[in-house]
Amino acid sequence: MSADHTRDPCPIVILNDFGGAFAMGVIGGCVWHGIKGFRNSPYGERGYGAISAIKARAPVVGGNFGVWGGLFSTFDCSVKAVRKREDAWNAVIAGFFTGGALAIRGGWRHTRNSAITCACLLGVFEGVGMMMSRVMAQPQIAPMYPEESPKMAA
Amino acid sequence: MSWLFGSKPKTEEQSQSDLKQSLGFDPAQVADVSQILQTPGVLDSSRLHPLAGLDKGIEYLDLEDEQLTTVEGAQGIIPSRSWTDDLCYGTGAVYLLGLGLGGAYGMQEGIKNIPPNSPGKLQLNTVLNHMTKRGPYLGNSAGVLALTYNLIDSSLDALRGKHDDYNTVAAGALAGALFRSSAGIKPMAYSTALMAGAASAWCGIKRLLQ
Repeated sequence: MSADHTRDPCPIVILNDFGGAFAMGVIGGCVWHGIKGFRNSPYGERGYGAISAIKARAPVVGGNFGVWGGLFSTFDCSVKAVRKREDAWNAVIAGFFTGGALAIRGGWRHTRNSAITCACLLGVFEGVGMMMSRVMAQPQIAPMYPEESPKMAA
Repeated sequence: MSWLFGSKPKTEEQSQSDLKQSLGFDPAQVADVSQILQTPGVLDSSRLHPLAGLDKGIEYLDLEDEQLTTVEGAQGIIPSRSWTDDLCYGTGAVYLLGLGLGGAYGMQEGIKNIPPNSPGKLQLNTVLNHMTKRGPYLGNSAGVLALTYNLIDSSLDALRGKHDDYNTVAAGALAGALFRSSAGIKPMAYSTALMAGAASAWCGIKRLLQ
């Protein structure tokens, strides 16, 4: 019963993550670029500006999110298959490869820096997630100790 | 492979004798607790062990959030828990398809356009540039279309309470219309017809696969 049943098994979950990340990016991009296009348009053309900004930019944001999420999921599954265990390091290693793969056309230095940044970011996420789950799992109720009677100073 | 292709939801009606077999008493005849405790063999330690009775098969606790979708006719190719699963899988598959097709098209375009007598690095760069020009554009458009289609489809399912081919085609037509709604009447009609056709083709493919 320790398995996480809210996520599907490995090869197929890549599709799910691709779609989920893409949808998140498109919907977030609609909000973001809608507001941006609205604010950056002259009066009288604000609605039109918002629509055209959404049309031009939201799919691109969605695509970027989707590629990141899908690549991460792919690497996560590969790392799981190679290491044969599930822990926080999987995400860090997968983040390292994802960051590197996405920056691979920018040269060796760019690839290395991006991979390390991405791995650190994922490490922070995992750490925060573990801390959160620990806090949520054990509500810290301070035990009530009987107070010691103050000693009378002689 | 049942996790990949799904299966018809099983409706197992537990008969009374089965229930008596697994519980050790007949729930229809129980009046109070002492009656249960007096039943012979109910306090047998081999039956009270947590792993006892595994030979009769495991009784699964059907948790609320792990249930497959209960909408009539919506049990598709991939088992889905809710509309979010449909959305993620549909969008992801179509987006990847678009990305792959666009990338392949860009690749052959790039290979055709390689400047003559260029070094290998430049050749590789030309091909990659063409791929990254075509692939994401097609993938993004297809992904947005699939996202809209899935959102409308799930809404129609929820409204009508069931899922059938009319839903799919209507959702496709609406998604196509919305996609080109700002380009004018004629492009809108074209994309509506195209998406309705694609949706009905998908209906047929789903029939074949199931």
